[in-house]
Amino acid sequence: MTDIPADGMAARAGSILVPSGLMKRRNAAEQRFRLYGVASIAVSLAVLAIMLITIFTDGLSSFRQSAITFPVLLTADALDPDGNRDRAEMTDVTTIGYGKVIDASFDALLAVEGITVEGLSEKDARGILSKEAAGQLRARVLADPSIVGTTIDMTLWTNARIDGYFKGRVTMETAERDGNVSPEQLQLADLLRDRGILSQPFNWAFLTGSDASDQRPEAAGLGISIVGSIYMMIIVALLCVPIGVAASIYLEEFAPKNRWTDLIEVNISNLAAVPSIVYGILGLAVFINFAGLPQSSSLVGALVLTLMTLPTIIIATRAAIRAVPPSIRDAALGVGASKMQTVFDHVLPLAMPGILTGAILGLATALGETAPLLLIGMVAFVDNFPAASVGGILDPATALPVQVYGWAQRADPAFIERSSGAIIVLLFFLVIMNAVAIVLRRRFERRW
Amino acid sequence: MNNMRNVEPLVTANTAKMTARKVQVYYGTTHAIKDVDVDILDKTVTAFIGPSGCGKSTFLRCLNRMNDTIAVCKVTGELKLEAEDIYDPRVDPVQLRAKVGMVFQKPNPFPKSIYDNVAYGPKIHGLTRNKAELDAIVEGCLKKAALWNEVKDRLDAPGTGLSGGQQQRLCIARAIATNPEVLLMDEPCSALDPIATAQVEELIDELRSQFSVVIVTHSMQQAARVSQKTAFFHLGNLVEYGETAQIFTNPKDPRTESYISGRIG
Repeated sequence: MTDIPADGMAARAGSILVPSGLMKRRNAAEQRFRLYGVASIAVSLAVLAIMLITIFTDGLSSFRQSAITFPVLLTADALDPDGNRDRAEMTDVTTIGYGKVIDASFDALLAVEGITVEGLSEKDARGILSKEAAGQLRARVLADPSIVGTTIDMTLWTNARIDGYFKGRVTMETAERDGNVSPEQLQLADLLRDRGILSQPFNWAFLTGSDASDQRPEAAGLGISIVGSIYMMIIVALLCVPIGVAASIYLEEFAPKNRWTDLIEVNISNLAAVPSIVYGILGLAVFINFAGLPQSSSLVGALVLTLMTLPTIIIATRAAIRAVPPSIRDAALGVGASKMQTVFDHVLPLAMPGILTGAILGLATALGETAPLLLIGMVAFVDNFPAASVGGILDPATALPVQVYGWAQRADPAFIERSSGAIIVLLFFLVIMNAVAIVLRRRFERRW
Repeated sequence: MNNMRNVEPLVTANTAKMTARKVQVYYGTTHAIKDVDVDILDKTVTAFIGPSGCGKSTFLRCLNRMNDTIAVCKVTGELKLEAEDIYDPRVDPVQLRAKVGMVFQKPNPFPKSIYDNVAYGPKIHGLTRNKAELDAIVEGCLKKAALWNEVKDRLDAPGTGLSGGQQQRLCIARAIATNPEVLLMDEPCSALDPIATAQVEELIDELRSQFSVVIVTHSMQQAARVSQKTAFFHLGNLVEYGETAQIFTNPKDPRTESYISGRIG
């Protein structure tokens, strides 16, 4: 004790006040390890941020679409030649007929407002309207034939180039070189915008409409792919969760531990690692070619995704069941519960949070899966909504990730915006599913 | 409190509730229990003592066939509950366990309410016809387990929120709720503090009036305090079985003497 100086900073051999050389190395190693951890998390967060920023800057604009609102005179002679407002007969009038009505009203609009752009013909002026405009008007009239003969305010889309001009994709310079749009048309659009005739309302059609051809990106919507994805998720959940949980319970609690169950276990683990496109080939061969189910249908897509998701759910469920302390099983068996009662009354409730998390993560993966769906024909262009009944699962549909893939392939830059918008919708659904997982987990988790 | 028990008259003229003859237990190739013959008397506390790994817990778990859950465990010989072989192929172990209840080393209440913990056994065995009867059973068992006064105001509270000693008494209440004939206790106090241990021991003494109790314990003092009969196991053999007082004061086998005097074990 006497060898320790009063300041306490002794250099005594073995003093705990001075870190030994080994101690310094150990501390340095720990510091380095922490730094690696922080660095890797920082890098992942940065990449995630860049990804989200890119998607949102590219895609958010797809939720607004430039449209022109003006009074359209629905001339009865053109739209209902027979004059009896019979919907069946009025379907004889094609979009060409409606196009003429729109043209007349649009010309009248420009005349009334006194808008003229030098060097812009009437035909080119009308060109700022979408090719889909006639279709929009036709749908509106056929929905309510009684409006024929009156003048109604219609909000009709502009074409994608005009829309792109307001979203920064198209400029006066690029318009010079663009065969699809002229600077004069852009000037006209500017004038209409200044007068409040051209606006950018929320684009509901993006969420509810069907896909559109390459020529009219402004009309392309996600409706069918959202419906297809929802149908598939419902079927996958209905098939996957009961089958997966039942299989896990059997394997974990009832099955004898022998060579066969070992083999099954190894195979389940391997199936979880099989590339998803292989399941697509399997689905094509089994469900479409052999079983004869209709291709492109949500049912086949869901069956393929079920096969793909089952191993994940089984592995997660088995882990959750295994994590239940054996003392609970002893307790239940000790009071004379049967094996089944032990599992369903005690083990399963305790394993529930883990099972739900695994199931919803599996479903989220299935929701974002593209490759197997391409092989069973869900990449096809689908224009009609699947029926809103049980039979609808046999109707052709697409899925959100496939729609993203499809739009990303198209030439028109307006589809890039659409593609990013579709990713935002997909991410929204994923966030919803994860939120559901968290809520359910909280609810089933017992803090006792 | 404990002195009183020591001077109690030794139980006599009790009929054998369970009998074991030439019981062998194998874990795979390990011969864990060798040639055990023992009579478990009715309304008596029988203590199994012995060093760790001597097979006393293994033998206890044979008595309600909890060893069935271990795949490699094989039991031969004759084990009877009131003259009926419990390893007869016709016996459903689930039904047997309703008659031979068990309390484990670590308190393991279900992660449910106190009420549900006790009510679970009667519910699954269909012992009650209505809620009132179930309430009566729950109350009766919690009273027998000396827990009623502590929990009667919070029967909906989780069983796992109780203290260790309370949890173990809850487990005892749960075990007696199925109205068993024999109650097996596998080191029920080893996870408890001395006060909780004293409470559980007192409880065991009271339970004797209704059940045949078999208790495995590491504490020789505990065996001396609560049991009337003691069996000493060593290396899978039942070395000595007799009146507790005789085992502790006048053991016949030198191994028993070595163990209780602290030379082995």
